[in-house]
Amino acid sequence: MSASQQLTPTNPNSALKIRLAYRFLLTLNTLNAKKPPNFDHTQIHRRSHRVKIAAYASMASVVGPKRAWSRAILWKIRNRGMLARNKKRIHRISTPIRLHRHHARRRRNPNRVVHVDPFVNSGLEVKLRKLVPGAETIDPCGLLDETADYIKYLATQVEVMRNLVDLYSTI
Amino acid sequence: MSSRRSRQSSSGASRITDDQITQLISKLQQILPGTRIQRSNKASASKVLQETCNYVRSLHREVDDLSDRLSQLLSTIDSDSPEASIIRSLIM
Repeated sequence: MSASQQLTPTNPNSALKIRLAYRFLLTLNTLNAKKPPNFDHTQIHRRSHRVKIAAYASMASVVGPKRAWSRAILWKIRNRGMLARNKKRIHRISTPIRLHRHHARRRRNPNRVVHVDPFVNSGLEVKLRKLVPGAETIDPCGLLDETADYIKYLATQVEVMRNLVDLYSTI
Repeated sequence: MSSRRSRQSSSGASRITDDQITQLISKLQQILPGTRIQRSNKASASKVLQETCNYVRSLHREVDDLSDRLSQLLSTIDSDSPEASIIRSLIM
């Protein structure tokens, strides 16, 4: 009882942290329940990959389908089996098609640069589009908005994980 | 079709989107870690974008690192210690 009273949020950031932490612990728990712990070196590597996926999945599912980045993360995770299987096929088949697409985009881009701000279509924006999930096809204003939202959730998720590591390492 | 739409909307509203973009960039600037003492409004947008890229990349790296450490800790802690059962009861 006292624990739940202590958990009542005093500011929105701690409320978000609690939601993220709860979801993350839930996902971790189901992860642990599935396979027994192995002390094999390769299994630990696979396990850290699964923990990473759990972190992104829990973060995206707290937000739900409201945001482009969370939708992109959830889609990627749910289809990662299909994506891994088709990786080699996509590389072989669609690289000639990709070249055509690049040429088509370059024809459009010089027209866009004249109308929108010069810095928006710079190399930085392209880098940002690669970093933020699901941001490849958003307009520049939406891209900045998505980035801010993504950073907020990602930073809180990192804090949650750091606290968990501290907690587990003192046990 | 989409290029026509963007030409119409951006040629008519390019000045509005300028303000929007500067607003969004200042919002980003507030979120980024760094000197929280008075941030000059004239900090160039490209600098803010570059800092944003670096910050996102560093966050990704931290997630990787923390998930490595967490998985190691989880593999060692998976016994029936009383603290682990407390954590489990919190989740359940």
